[in-house]
Amino acid sequence: MAKRVAVYCFAAITGIALGLASAIYMAGLWPGTKPLDFGDVEVDGWRSDFAIGSEAANPYTRARVARHGLLALAKTEAVYFTRDTDDRGEPLREDCTYRLSVGKMPADWWSVTLYDADSMLPMNDDEALSVNLGQDNVARIGDETVGYGLSAVVSPERPDGRDLWISSRGAPTFDLMLRLYVPSEDLLERPEAVLTPPTIERMSCDGEAA
Amino acid sequence: MTRWLGPLLVLVVSALVAHWATLSLAPGVIMDRALSALEDRGVAMHAFTAPQRITPKSQQVVRSSPDLFYSLCRYDLEDPDDRLSVTMAQWPDYQSLSFFDAETNNFLTSRGTGRSIAIEIAAPDAASQEVTKSPTQRGVVLIRRLAPTQELFNAAKAASAGDACELLTR
Repeated sequence: MAKRVAVYCFAAITGIALGLASAIYMAGLWPGTKPLDFGDVEVDGWRSDFAIGSEAANPYTRARVARHGLLALAKTEAVYFTRDTDDRGEPLREDCTYRLSVGKMPADWWSVTLYDADSMLPMNDDEALSVNLGQDNVARIGDETVGYGLSAVVSPERPDGRDLWISSRGAPTFDLMLRLYVPSEDLLERPEAVLTPPTIERMSCDGEAA
Repeated sequence: MTRWLGPLLVLVVSALVAHWATLSLAPGVIMDRALSALEDRGVAMHAFTAPQRITPKSQQVVRSSPDLFYSLCRYDLEDPDDRLSVTMAQWPDYQSLSFFDAETNNFLTSRGTGRSIAIEIAAPDAASQEVTKSPTQRGVVLIRRLAPTQELFNAAKAASAGDACELLTR
């Protein structure tokens, strides 16, 4: 009898453990998971999860959004795209220098911000965490070679000259997050057709030409 | 063989119940922890609290934006007659007022570029149908203002003197 009870207890405990672990895994609650691991939209390597900020009906999506999009805005106010590779598909690294080019975005305002592998701002005091639409307007007045858009260097060292800069110092690997505030309705309906996302060209790595 | 059917059934049922319970409870647990963390960081109940500008040293939440001014207000509509009166002061650039319930749902958002906005929400069990009801008793209100420079952040902070988050008891 005691053996029988022990078997049932073992079955119940194993079942609970399996149910708990499978829910945590399937809902993206496993420690270390990142928004990049999910998403329902991808445009040229930039991934987004348009369910973030919404009241999702699917319980897996609801749990995932609670974990990765806590206090995030609904997509009518802002959408977020993330990319952790350059245009060649190679992971973004601190020991490389990149050229970020941003064209016209289908939104009222945008920014691109660098986050480390823990989804935190890199721990440096360079005061070069992001670039945005406002900087474009200010930095490019009188520059006849640049039309609408922004070009910035992503590197661990401040570039020479007038280049805008995003510092990767303190982030061995990182990703870039594109925030689009007040996105156009077209973007929400047909993101792949409407969005021409920023390009990330690798210029050099460890002092070698790319 | 049949003697294993009972334990196998217990295993499957236990797994399904645990799976469903985890998914159902996760949003509430995550938000409960977030609300506790906000309280620990000094975010007031029924009043807006404007944290420091987001920097690598001051960041507390993953993927915070260094280009925004955030202001937070926790609320607890304990009585069915309680209401929360929220005012977002004028700001010349993009700003939004968002309400999140205790299940992490963003149940109300209003954009206020260039203008002030005033909104009242009622308790979940309120009799009135005139105002939006918070789906849960507790929650948090969040103001975002576009302020990508220190100068604009200081201006946003000054503008926040006109923000209000007040519990109205009847």
